[in-house]
Amino acid sequence: MKIALFIPCLVNQMVPEVGIATLELLEKLGHQVILPAGQTCCGQPMTNSGCFNEAKKTTLKLLNAFKGVECDAIVCPAASCLVAAKENFHEFDDSPEAQAVIEKLYELTEFLHDVAPIPAFSKPFPHKISLQMSCHGIRMLDLATPSEQMGPRMNKFEAVLAAIPEIDIVYPDKPDECCGFGGTFAVDEGAVSAKMGKDKAQAHAATGAKYAVGFDPSCLLHIDGMVRRQKLPIETRHIAQIINAAL
Amino acid sequence: MSTSTSNVHAHKAEIFCRDESRVDWHSKALWALREKRDRAAGSIPEWEQLRQIGSEMKLHTLSHLADYLEKFEQNCIKNNISVHWAKDGAEHNRIVHEILAKHQVKKIVKSKSMLTEECHMNPYLEERGIEVIDTDLGERIIQLAKMPPSHIVVPAIHMKKEEVGDLFHEKLGTDAGASDPLYLTRAARRHLREQFLSADAAMTGVNMAIADKGAVVVCTNEGNADMGANLPKLQLHSMGIDKVVPDLDSAAVLLRTLARNATGQPITTYSSFYRGPQDGGEMHVIIVDNGRTDMLKDKILAESLKCIRCGGCLNTCPVYRRSGGYSYNYTIPGPIGIAVGAQHDDTNSIAWACTLCGSCSYVCPTKVPLDKIIHHHRRLKAEAGKLPYGKSNYMPLVGKFMASETALNCSMAIARTALRMLPGSLLKPFSGAWGKYRELPVAPNSSFEAWFKKNRG
Amino acid sequence: MSSKQEIFNALKSVAIEPQPMPCFDIAPRIDDLVGQFEANLTTVAGTLHRDGGLANLQATIDKHIAQGMQVISMVDGIKGNREVTATAHELRDIDYAVIPGDVGVAENGAIWVNNKNLGHRVTPFICENLLLVIEAKSIVANMHQAANLITLAPGEFGTYIAGPSKTADIEQALVVGAHGACSLNVYLT
Repeated sequence: MKIALFIPCLVNQMVPEVGIATLELLEKLGHQVILPAGQTCCGQPMTNSGCFNEAKKTTLKLLNAFKGVECDAIVCPAASCLVAAKENFHEFDDSPEAQAVIEKLYELTEFLHDVAPIPAFSKPFPHKISLQMSCHGIRMLDLATPSEQMGPRMNKFEAVLAAIPEIDIVYPDKPDECCGFGGTFAVDEGAVSAKMGKDKAQAHAATGAKYAVGFDPSCLLHIDGMVRRQKLPIETRHIAQIINAAL
Repeated sequence: MSTSTSNVHAHKAEIFCRDESRVDWHSKALWALREKRDRAAGSIPEWEQLRQIGSEMKLHTLSHLADYLEKFEQNCIKNNISVHWAKDGAEHNRIVHEILAKHQVKKIVKSKSMLTEECHMNPYLEERGIEVIDTDLGERIIQLAKMPPSHIVVPAIHMKKEEVGDLFHEKLGTDAGASDPLYLTRAARRHLREQFLSADAAMTGVNMAIADKGAVVVCTNEGNADMGANLPKLQLHSMGIDKVVPDLDSAAVLLRTLARNATGQPITTYSSFYRGPQDGGEMHVIIVDNGRTDMLKDKILAESLKCIRCGGCLNTCPVYRRSGGYSYNYTIPGPIGIAVGAQHDDTNSIAWACTLCGSCSYVCPTKVPLDKIIHHHRRLKAEAGKLPYGKSNYMPLVGKFMASETALNCSMAIARTALRMLPGSLLKPFSGAWGKYRELPVAPNSSFEAWFKKNRG
Repeated sequence: MSSKQEIFNALKSVAIEPQPMPCFDIAPRIDDLVGQFEANLTTVAGTLHRDGGLANLQATIDKHIAQGMQVISMVDGIKGNREVTATAHELRDIDYAVIPGDVGVAENGAIWVNNKNLGHRVTPFICENLLLVIEAKSIVANMHQAANLITLAPGEFGTYIAGPSKTADIEQALVVGAHGACSLNVYLT
């Protein structure tokens, strides 16, 4: 397939290794990967603060970067940004061209589960990993059944990773409780955000896992800050990095 | 620091968070309720179906509210129930006082009613010489401690048993240092029995008002509402306009989810249906608007009136559990408190006391889309120019900055260099709340875009 | 303009589109209703006496009376030592009240009682201990079925009782016996 990468600003600027792993793994799977130029922020920091006027310019600029780009799918290694992009594109542009972009948007895990499953992994990943079930991926993108919901369970995140040979998947206590990042919440509500992050970091560390693995780089950055502040024996990794290492 | 700054949620939450072991204790107590809720909800296969039906039934009722309220009133009148209408809290209090004054009531026993809290009824009646006794144990505890409720179902959840013991020793004469919950509860039972038996009138909140019967439903575990309402000859029930449901079947749906979602019980101990006064008694229902019709005019805010006050959203909320009920500047805290209280919040901060994680919306037994409502409140606040935490100053800059690749690239390149080169001690003062609580990110050498150009370009 | 009129005027601007009433098509769990009822009654701190019926109940009551307890019975064929009092307040020293239940609900252990069978409405709440009598055949699966069977005529009072009164308002520690009855025993007939 021909895939356009949607690399959110946080990944681009602060965790390029997540972008690189995403690119490499998609190429290893035989996809043709392009990076449309002119990508900016999805507008989430502004719209989540209620500031829609302030978000409009950057959102439309990002949308324009994808309009008319020839590809089968637009893949993003950040669930929260992807949800915001979908909602904000829809909010600010109701044209058929915008709708065409929205319909091609996929979060990486979702893409690897629903659209182009990985046929086989070539290398083992003989480590224990603790899954970071970030909120927007779980509750807005349906990557897994939220713990609040009753009935049959589904978990795309685990399903994609579980196929890796020798991987040992565990969960922290209260698996899908929010880590406390919440965008500007991390700064506006510093004390509560930090307490939530500390609890989450400790819950991951308590599993004895080598890595806390997630699909949302912003949550991982926050948890990483808490892990290092508390000197906990665990590191954060993005799902793309684990998959790339096993291909 | 202005009053509004010192009252912002973040400030109050920061104070609450200073005692970390207490935060852990508070969070654990509430999470235990969430776990009990999960077990109770999981025990009935039709749980998600009940949530859907509950939501649709409430939406149906709200979209035909005038019809159902009219029907409810007509049927109440047939049952010898007096119905009163109050457009706001002040009118509610005035009506209640008039009824009580007419009967020369000196003492009224009251079971839990978030509406009377919302109307600040107790001080109004007390100023007019009427003694108001809250009879729910948790409510009585906080009334004796002169505090407002910190949770809508377990109002004294923030207090430790030793603190209740000290309070009861002082107010009810229990043994000094005694803190056994059984002992303290028995003491409260004896104390409140005397109040029930000597009260001139009783008041309750209303869980559901059944339109086609002209009846109100009141749910308690302690039996305090029924001990109250069935002893004196005068009974009053206060309800918001949102409490009406079409019929007994509709009430049954909500009775199936209410207690399961609140405390994990299959149903409250008592679910009492009052379809008229006792022999020789008088029954009054006061129907209150107090801002509800305003919320109904906004399609998104209107859905908050589906709420049945189970408190499930408070128990699951990671922010409420770590910031306490008193940090919200409103009678009702937590997600539903933000949903129905943000427009009254002068500090304009409670709408931001939320990570938008969405757990509350999935917990809710009537599918109130709480995270969407909270998000919507932020938009309304922004449009009204009422942003907290300096957002009105920096958000336009962020908007411009994020929309410009050049500005973003240049400044982030500088920031990455600074993060790599400068010692943490020098950077922390500039990193605000991020660096106060966390280590700063480990900065990469270049952006992904730069890497891509170099390696794939 | 009256406040009612003001409220109704405001309700003309409700933003929610008219929604139909949903259909309540929930399948009842009909296996072993008494077993389900007993399990749920136990979780709400009540006790079921399956065997012995009214004779067993009368024997229990006779023992209580012999010990000087005050017992009022509203069930035909069960004799206590107290009659319905002139005022509700005079029931304050009742140790045991025996009351007939109309409908039992298997899914939650609740029993519907109607004020026709209470003397004073406060009887099941003010007594120290409550004894409910229910026919096995009047136990239904769930609240939806119960809603179609309970009686609540104009002017009446009725209540679902699920276990003895209880509270967990002090540090979430469950205490059985708050303001209503401190124990509930249910006798099956």
